[in-house]
Amino acid sequence: MKKSFVTLLIIFWFSKIHAQYNTIPIPEALYGTTFDLNIHESIKQIKATGNQTVTGSINNETFWGPTLIINKGDEVHMNVTNNLNEETTLHWHGMHLPAVMDGGPHQIIPAGTLWQPYWTITNNAATYWYHPHLHTTTEAQITKGVGGLIIVKDETEASLPLPRNYGTDDIPLILTSRNFTSANQFSVGRAYGDLMLTNGVLNGQFTFPKQVVRLRILNAELERGYNLGFSDNRTFYIIANDGGLLNAPVAVTRLPVHVGERYEILVNLTNDNEGGTLDLKAYNTNQTFGFPGGEPNTTGQFGSLLNNTSFNVLHIIIGAATSNPITSIPTTLANNTYYTASDATVNQSVTITGGQGTVPFTFNNTAYVDTFINKTLSVDTTQKWTVTNTQIFGHCFHIHDVQFKIISRSTGNVGAYESGWKDSFFIAINETVNFVCRFKDYADSTHPFMYHCHFAQHEDGGMMGQFVVTGTPLNTEIVSSTTKFKLYPNPVNDKLFISLNDTTTDIYYITITTTEGRIVMMLPQPQWQNGIDVSSLSAGSYIVQMMDKATKSITTKKFIKN
Amino acid sequence: MKNKGSLIILFLLIFTFVSFSFVENKNEKIIKSFSLKGTDNKKVSLSDYKDAKGFVIVFTCNKCPMAKLYSNRLNKINDKYKKQGVYLLTINSMDTLAYAEESFKLMQKKVKNEKLTIPYLHDKKQSIAKEFGATHTPQSFIIWKNKNNKFSIKYKGAIDDNASEPEKATNLLTNSIDELLAGKIVSNPVTESFGCRIYFRGENKTH
Repeated sequence: MKKSFVTLLIIFWFSKIHAQYNTIPIPEALYGTTFDLNIHESIKQIKATGNQTVTGSINNETFWGPTLIINKGDEVHMNVTNNLNEETTLHWHGMHLPAVMDGGPHQIIPAGTLWQPYWTITNNAATYWYHPHLHTTTEAQITKGVGGLIIVKDETEASLPLPRNYGTDDIPLILTSRNFTSANQFSVGRAYGDLMLTNGVLNGQFTFPKQVVRLRILNAELERGYNLGFSDNRTFYIIANDGGLLNAPVAVTRLPVHVGERYEILVNLTNDNEGGTLDLKAYNTNQTFGFPGGEPNTTGQFGSLLNNTSFNVLHIIIGAATSNPITSIPTTLANNTYYTASDATVNQSVTITGGQGTVPFTFNNTAYVDTFINKTLSVDTTQKWTVTNTQIFGHCFHIHDVQFKIISRSTGNVGAYESGWKDSFFIAINETVNFVCRFKDYADSTHPFMYHCHFAQHEDGGMMGQFVVTGTPLNTEIVSSTTKFKLYPNPVNDKLFISLNDTTTDIYYITITTTEGRIVMMLPQPQWQNGIDVSSLSAGSYIVQMMDKATKSITTKKFIKN
Repeated sequence: MKNKGSLIILFLLIFTFVSFSFVENKNEKIIKSFSLKGTDNKKVSLSDYKDAKGFVIVFTCNKCPMAKLYSNRLNKINDKYKKQGVYLLTINSMDTLAYAEESFKLMQKKVKNEKLTIPYLHDKKQSIAKEFGATHTPQSFIIWKNKNNKFSIKYKGAIDDNASEPEKATNLLTNSIDELLAGKIVSNPVTESFGCRIYFRGENKTH
């Protein structure tokens, strides 16, 4: 009698321990057209006890940065300050924009520098993200938690009866896993983490209102895939892929989400009991070999305690419905016209190579070299890309600049779940995937875009290629006779103006450095006519380096900041 | 006979070598005296401290959020151990050319704002950090005077194992100082250092 009471107590105690969930933070939402993003090192209590972890973040967050909420059609201006003690880049994953604004491995932001890219949002309403992309340090900087979500809104999305109260019935979920040292610091080097972090916390939970709830899911992992589903096997509805809403919701009970991919799903909780619970889980047990995180090992470079298991991603508590809730799943969504194979006039092929022994994975047997352009594409062309994987593991292929349509998979039909606009996809062992995309504008023969495997260790290892989109040369291209310029007022307080000696000079890039040579501001294709805001600079002497578009030559001029 | 003699010499040589290595651990790095400018504009060197049994050298910086949590603790450690001939020196070895926030002026501001009562020295050439093999801020070292009046590294690693909750922390650094003061061998001579990385000039791609 006494014994069974003790056993009961122990069971109760264990269940209490197990129920130590942490409410997931919802990253701060930033609205508008100008975004000030300060990348810096931070500290966060991730483990329940013991030391804090050194993380990397943006603005007031401590792991993953704020969510940028922007409207299609707006011209957005990013003031990105790198306050890490090392170089970085910030890539706008999924965005269609000029290559010089893309934040790929070439747009290096030195420590202490302000980088000011801007572009007009032409992407459809969907969930995108931003993250570092500096070659060979991507794994380390993403491990720290530098990155965040971008939500694009448009009129089509706004006209649909969808949940869109950010943080209430429209929930961002950023999935990753990490390993920790004995001092509770992130350890780098293993492909998979032992501990699941949902929005940066262990054992995440959140209260969902008793209605239709929208989840914006990002796989921000280094390598692991998530075969997501709910613990009661309920049907849920995919409404968006990486680059836009689907034509209609796709009903599923499982959804594979691989690195770099975003899916928006609806889950209907209207018939659930208030106070009830539900788990969103990764059903990663018994996956086909090549599924990242399906390996049987629990230790070693490709081992993890979460490998080949089913584990919790989010513990959900059903709360009271909000006022004016969405209570049903819409039957139709967007009216997309996708590219078809017959639209393509150019074919490109990418073959996955390497990966044997200590040889890193590559494309077409060529490891990434920052000075080598792998492909030169003509602007205004629709292209069919064929990616072939005959190697020993699965990969996640991602291409910058465009959203594409997957038209075929050699292993079977293209799943309805991935039938929309995509910028990333999983390619299994012995699979060939064809997609069609269009390089419609932003020709620039200087700055390249990337295509790469989004597994952090693979891209850092050189599984990346670059392409430039080139335009038709103009017959009468005007080359300025001089690229000299004056700066005024000098000394300057706030706004620095440029006066070109030859007004036909087209400014491609302005870099402002200290006289010691430290870069303080980087302005790609600046809107210099309105003056350059130098109010953030401390007093002293600076040098403006101006690169003109036609000759790419650099002309310099000094100024003094009061 | 001749063979026996050389054997004896060999044994004697081995014995000498072994006994010496008992006295001085060959793996312990000797740190030469150095001289660096403090935030009060005065030069500080190890030889200024005539009665020093040893020093605690902490590499720190202005900006690292982890380093900021330790200012008060370092003051307390110094107050306690300087009376026993163990002096604490903090050193900023960050690359001031690359990181404006690590400037000497801002070091002076940190001393004032965080009420640091210990010397905060500027390793402008990053040479002292390289000499110690420092990798993070904050990272602590104990150097101790040997029989030849030279200082060798006896401890390298964290100050303690809990940056935000000092009351719950294991005092890795001061436990090692106590062992040395008691004439004991440091039981835990290397611990994991954590915080912000020290980048050495020339390491970055664009510089």
